[in-house]
Amino acid sequence: MFQIKNVGKWALCGLMFCSSLLFTACDDEDNNNEYNGEDAFVLTMAIQGTDGTFTYYTTQFEDVMSGSLSALGQGVAQPGYYTYNQIDERIYCMGGMGENNLVALEKNTDGALEDIGGIASFDNSISELLETEDGQLLAVEVANTSDIISFQLLDKETVTITKTVNTAITDITDQVAPTYSGLVQSGNYVYLSYYISDPTTYATNYTDMARIAVFSYPELEFVKEITDTRTGPIGGFNTKSGLIKDENGDIYALSHSNPANGYSQTTKDGGILRIKNGETAFDQDYFFDIEAATEGKNTAHLKYIGNGKAFSLINQDDNSEQAAWSDGPLKAAVIDLYNGTVHYIDGIPEHAGTGRKLASTALYDDGSIYLCVPEDVSLNVYRVDTNNYTATKGAEVEANFVAGFFKL
Amino acid sequence: MRKASLRLIGILFILAIYAINGYAELNIKNSSKLFGTVKSAQGEALTGVNIIISGNNFFKGTVSDIDGKYEITTIPSGEYILKATFIGFKPIEIPITIDGNQDYKTNLNLNTDNFKLEDIQVNGKSILTKISEAPFEVAAVSTAKIQNSTTDVKAILNKVSGVRIQEEGGLGSNSTFSLNGFSGDQVKFFLDGIPIDNYGSSFSLGDIPVNMIERIEVYKGVVPVWLGTDALGGAVNIITNKKSKLLDFSYSYGSFNTHRASVNGTFTNEETGFMLKANAFYNYSDNNYKVNAPITNSNGNIVNYQDVERFHDRYKSGTVKIEAGVTNKSYADKLLFGIMGSANDKQVQTGVTMRTVYGGIVTNSQSFTPSIKYSKKDLFTEGLDISFSAAYNSSESQVIDTLKGITYNWLGERFVSTTSNGQVSEDGENYRTFTTLNDDDISSQLNLGYQINKTSSVSLNYAYNYFHRKAFDKEHPDEISNLFPNALNKHILGFAYQLNLNKKWNTTVFGKMYHLNTKASRVEDFALETQRTIEYRTNTNNWGYGIASAYFILPELQVKASYEHTYRLPKPEELFGDGLFIQANSDLGPEQSDNYNIGANYKYTFNSNHHIKIGGSYIYRNANDLIHTVAVFANPQTHFDNLSKTKAWGIEGNAEYNWKEIFHLSTNITYQKITDQAKRVYNESYTGTGWQRNFHYGFRVPNMPYLFGNINAGFSFNNVLLSASKLDFNYHLNYVDEYFLTWAEMGSNNEDYVIPQQTSHDIELSYSLKNGKYNISAECRNLLDAKLYDKFYLQKPGRAFYIKLRYNL
Repeated sequence: MFQIKNVGKWALCGLMFCSSLLFTACDDEDNNNEYNGEDAFVLTMAIQGTDGTFTYYTTQFEDVMSGSLSALGQGVAQPGYYTYNQIDERIYCMGGMGENNLVALEKNTDGALEDIGGIASFDNSISELLETEDGQLLAVEVANTSDIISFQLLDKETVTITKTVNTAITDITDQVAPTYSGLVQSGNYVYLSYYISDPTTYATNYTDMARIAVFSYPELEFVKEITDTRTGPIGGFNTKSGLIKDENGDIYALSHSNPANGYSQTTKDGGILRIKNGETAFDQDYFFDIEAATEGKNTAHLKYIGNGKAFSLINQDDNSEQAAWSDGPLKAAVIDLYNGTVHYIDGIPEHAGTGRKLASTALYDDGSIYLCVPEDVSLNVYRVDTNNYTATKGAEVEANFVAGFFKL
Repeated sequence: MRKASLRLIGILFILAIYAINGYAELNIKNSSKLFGTVKSAQGEALTGVNIIISGNNFFKGTVSDIDGKYEITTIPSGEYILKATFIGFKPIEIPITIDGNQDYKTNLNLNTDNFKLEDIQVNGKSILTKISEAPFEVAAVSTAKIQNSTTDVKAILNKVSGVRIQEEGGLGSNSTFSLNGFSGDQVKFFLDGIPIDNYGSSFSLGDIPVNMIERIEVYKGVVPVWLGTDALGGAVNIITNKKSKLLDFSYSYGSFNTHRASVNGTFTNEETGFMLKANAFYNYSDNNYKVNAPITNSNGNIVNYQDVERFHDRYKSGTVKIEAGVTNKSYADKLLFGIMGSANDKQVQTGVTMRTVYGGIVTNSQSFTPSIKYSKKDLFTEGLDISFSAAYNSSESQVIDTLKGITYNWLGERFVSTTSNGQVSEDGENYRTFTTLNDDDISSQLNLGYQINKTSSVSLNYAYNYFHRKAFDKEHPDEISNLFPNALNKHILGFAYQLNLNKKWNTTVFGKMYHLNTKASRVEDFALETQRTIEYRTNTNNWGYGIASAYFILPELQVKASYEHTYRLPKPEELFGDGLFIQANSDLGPEQSDNYNIGANYKYTFNSNHHIKIGGSYIYRNANDLIHTVAVFANPQTHFDNLSKTKAWGIEGNAEYNWKEIFHLSTNITYQKITDQAKRVYNESYTGTGWQRNFHYGFRVPNMPYLFGNINAGFSFNNVLLSASKLDFNYHLNYVDEYFLTWAEMGSNNEDYVIPQQTSHDIELSYSLKNGKYNISAECRNLLDAKLYDKFYLQKPGRAFYIKLRYNL
């Protein structure tokens, strides 16, 4: 028979169980000691929730070469999907939570990072934001669900849109749904690179030539499409490294058409083409045969660092061996656009990339490149000496990946 | 012949029981039923009157219900004395002869006793009390006292401890229901025991008016087998009016051009047993309440913030439900055939936050549901009870975004997106679509219960669910994700053993088998040379189990404990993906959770006028294998996997005080801590294994309220100005502490992502005439016009006024 004594015992067990839980659960306190001084390294750390969504924390650090870097109690939080660009003393954040906003972060008088608010909203997410040579901001929206490409000019100080020009995709190409891969403004022209990828299957069935749409600047009217059959399409999925510009205003266009960065087929060897400043045609005298310089390898990532040199992450598998969408295995290198050479960096392990824009996720500062490299289960800062081609391991980053590496 | 037809029923209707009932009733052939109404000399229906029939060594009693109705069944032939006693009234005794071949209707009238009693002590336990005293952690809410309110099921549920409904806006807006931190498909909903999960959006909680329902039961964490479902965190059962005779018309009108009308009626012919039940309701609102919103100009720049009226948020919905059948027949206690039709039509005003505003997007949905319900006690033999229900639901819903090249701002201004050579873009406001979803859903429940002896009974439940979805987008007819319909078969078998050793203690032990069977064909490597069709099949079995027990330490003090190891089976889209961005994962397992509840309830009456009820409970949930999409980096494609773990503990308390029937005050409060317990997160990442450290380990899960409560207070006066009239005044306070949209521990600008603390006050005044026949009420919601948010940056309505007229026969 059931007796009251047992009930008491049972209840007591229950109470003990409850109270033990009560005592073990206490809230963590904020411990904000974020660096607010000059020359701060700013990392946008993306931290994954168990539901697979990310929140981005843009946080300042004095030193990124020792200890560990954490967003615990510090940093500007942004939930949703964002991409980042630094232009002068501001970090522009594009994206949002189901929105298409442009938000700018800057240091306030105390040196702390401050969100200066979402000023403008866009119909589609901004594919790229850059500073024009005459000191304005130029944004472009290319969405494969849209039938137009939209350019906006923004006032750099107020970050408000001053001009919008839409161009029908049917005016630019007879293919549907171009995917954005690169944007450069040089002199009187804006150059937009893209590749054709089926909006539902991501199959890339047109890989026989490079295509760039040329627009007039500052009118932003479509001028012409230029093509070149020496290599395949320019740029890849989400890497936004298709076009870079050197000090002369010459434009370098990168083709890789590799499976690791969004291609379902490769029909041309990868390489780099050039468009000379003021021209609306590819320079037929220039071709950087990357595959020849790397024994058949390709790269989807370029960050221009000056004097004709670019920092790059080169995929160590041939296109035919790459795992689709893997963005790896990558090896750091400095490539010389003028001389057509590739120098690998010692001291950084081969790793997989984040499939993001290298120009934002790596910082070039005083002859050194800083970037974050995943190893085993941790993420670490590496500083690369771009003159000696060596690297030093720095702090551990307490994040799942880094979406921006800047200095303010 | 009878046996054969019963066997036929047995074959046709698969099998199971409402095993809640304790003791077997005496089953004697040639027995009669005695029924009627008890009224005072003034004609007022008396509730809680003790009615006893005795004689011939036979003794049986009952208590009159809220309408004064009583019923005593299975009385053998003979001579009896019928006694009716009620405190404050003179007892009566009537001799009565029963011949066993017919039923007897006897109305009783009681006269007030000469000496006046201070209090009316109700000895009989109401159905609500009985449910509350079941060993499960269950909150039962009666709607009897709020029939004159303009409230709906959503609002009633929001007053239950542990429950939080996060709404995006006004009437008809999207909302998220959470119970102890579980939400979405983890909590299952039933209407009279039939699942309504798949009824489509045309029949949603916010639509159901208070007048259609009698009560709501919220089962927290541990769900009785007779509901036959794969709920991870609990279940909600909405019970519609059960009265055998009812006629109720109501209409309300209020702010934002909100109209709500409902008609509910039940007719029963006591001689033939014919029963006809009808419920119908209609809701309409412009939802044009004011919000503070950013105003953009034609360039897309935010010019300023203004208080503006919502301009594209009209909502209308309607439902008609008719059931007809027989009651009290030899072959059925109840056999009802029903049909329900419902429809809604909704304009969409905003995107995920109010920064995105729409002026042309609409959604609509229609559904049609035939159903059958059957129940019989003492089927083949004494103590064997059966009940069966089945419903088929066919629904069609549409999402329409077909305005081309148009964007709106919060002032309702249209901007046209044209190219530099004058061409208008064909893009939709969000994504141009005209998608039609066609869902077919069959659900059936069979319950069998058998009373083995006075102390123990067993019950068996079998539930079957079939779901099929087809989608088509007129604007994108080749959309690959729409080419593969989703279908699934779900079988749940439950077995329970109840032991009621004495009146103080009762225990249920149960086991459940979850069987999921799915089959689908899919195309792989679409548009590539390797394109092929693959058949996916899954066939999984999982076993759940649990125990629930309740014990009265004192007659006033009951303690309860319950535990369940439970599962939520994956949905078709989780298993099969959408053929596009979300790929199939045939290895996907169910979500599982171990749910514990401990609670105590205390009731006390002193000075015979003061009634106090205090209750408290502790809940603990340990959920594993929660299903989410895998995070991806350089890849647009993903799939669902069993990835995360959470733990939740919470404390819920409630207190109630009543002084006579005149004043009441009740309150409840919930505190819950739901934390992320996954040590690692998975993504298709660069680390080789895919696993990375979870930097949120041990942190509170965001976007989930953790401290909230309600206060209700009211006065009720009889015979104000006129006799048989009643004046009620009620006050309601709702409080939710602030909570974070993001992880509170990370970052320094959490104040930017806070859903602020909310306190709202509602008041209501109602006046009834002729014992509740004619009613008029007036309400003010959000009295102080507080800015209320449940979802991040989606403002809810401000102060609103409503008036309601109701006629109740």
